[in-house]
Amino acid sequence: MADPARVKTEAGFGEASTPAERPKQGEGSGDGPVSGSTASEPAAGQTSMKEDGKARSEDAAAGEEEEEGSSSLHPPPAKKLKVEHDKKKEKRQKVDEDEIQKMQVLVSSFSEEQLNRYEMYRRSAFPKAAIKRLIQSITGSSVSQNVVIAMSGIAKVFAGEIVEEALDVCEKWGDTPPLQPKHMREAVRRLKSREQIPNTKHKHILFH
Amino acid sequence: MAEEEDDPGFDEDLDDGGNGGDSGQGKRKRLFSKELRCMMYGFGDDQNPYTESVDILEDLVIEFITEMTHKAMSIGRQGRVQVEDIVFLIRKDPRKFARVKDLLTMNEELKKARKAFDEANYGS
Repeated sequence: MADPARVKTEAGFGEASTPAERPKQGEGSGDGPVSGSTASEPAAGQTSMKEDGKARSEDAAAGEEEEEGSSSLHPPPAKKLKVEHDKKKEKRQKVDEDEIQKMQVLVSSFSEEQLNRYEMYRRSAFPKAAIKRLIQSITGSSVSQNVVIAMSGIAKVFAGEIVEEALDVCEKWGDTPPLQPKHMREAVRRLKSREQIPNTKHKHILFH
Repeated sequence: MAEEEDDPGFDEDLDDGGNGGDSGQGKRKRLFSKELRCMMYGFGDDQNPYTESVDILEDLVIEFITEMTHKAMSIGRQGRVQVEDIVFLIRKDPRKFARVKDLLTMNEELKKARKAFDEANYGS
């Protein structure tokens, strides 16, 4: 019923649209995971969104530099830093509002199956109690609530990365979902070669 | 006896997970089966993912959490896991880093909002 390639690209687009904004806002470094997906259609959609964001942030940066240059003599360095920080905060809020609007437009145009999938994507989470029990069984001491929140969040992103890679593998091999263990294992092998899966078991001794 | 050892393919029926089907690491019970199914559907898989795939993913997630916990215990304050350690370990991965920042920020905002709400109630 659901064309797996199309459904996957929709889901991939839905997921990637949020992180597509993040690297531009925050660290500015990783385009890696977002542009990693191979299908051409969502790539076009993603790059157009990313380019929008990049153009906006470039304009904003240019505007900021201009204002700095004109008023550079007057305020003392501390005040200048605070003004910069406030301007950045405003810009970030404006960018957030744009993103929220875009998401609203997107979600309002979803079909029912897409809505179901999006709801599952947003709502699914690991149970905090089980994660807390797992971490405490490893450390032997209690951990704070924030640690549990952070760890569950990261674990969900990790699961998402594996499933996305496995769907790529599945599509590349000409199979259809549901995913089979061979797809999962190939996905893990690929992610390991990109060092996205932590592995401290193998100690590589450089000089011996 | 010999039949039990052939079980690994059929542990979906033996949901107690104890002695029978040991597919991979988990001699323990399956901790996240229900949640992982919903998650896989949300991330693009079929509405009914294969149980073997869910098991593989659960093993991977548990291994990931274990590795992160061990790493976090070895940096910063030894023997304890703190949020700063996790954020430090994740710093190179943009997706996870952004996600953790968002979650912690949202948690703070929610706490503030709840506190303000409670004080408003208490006042009136």
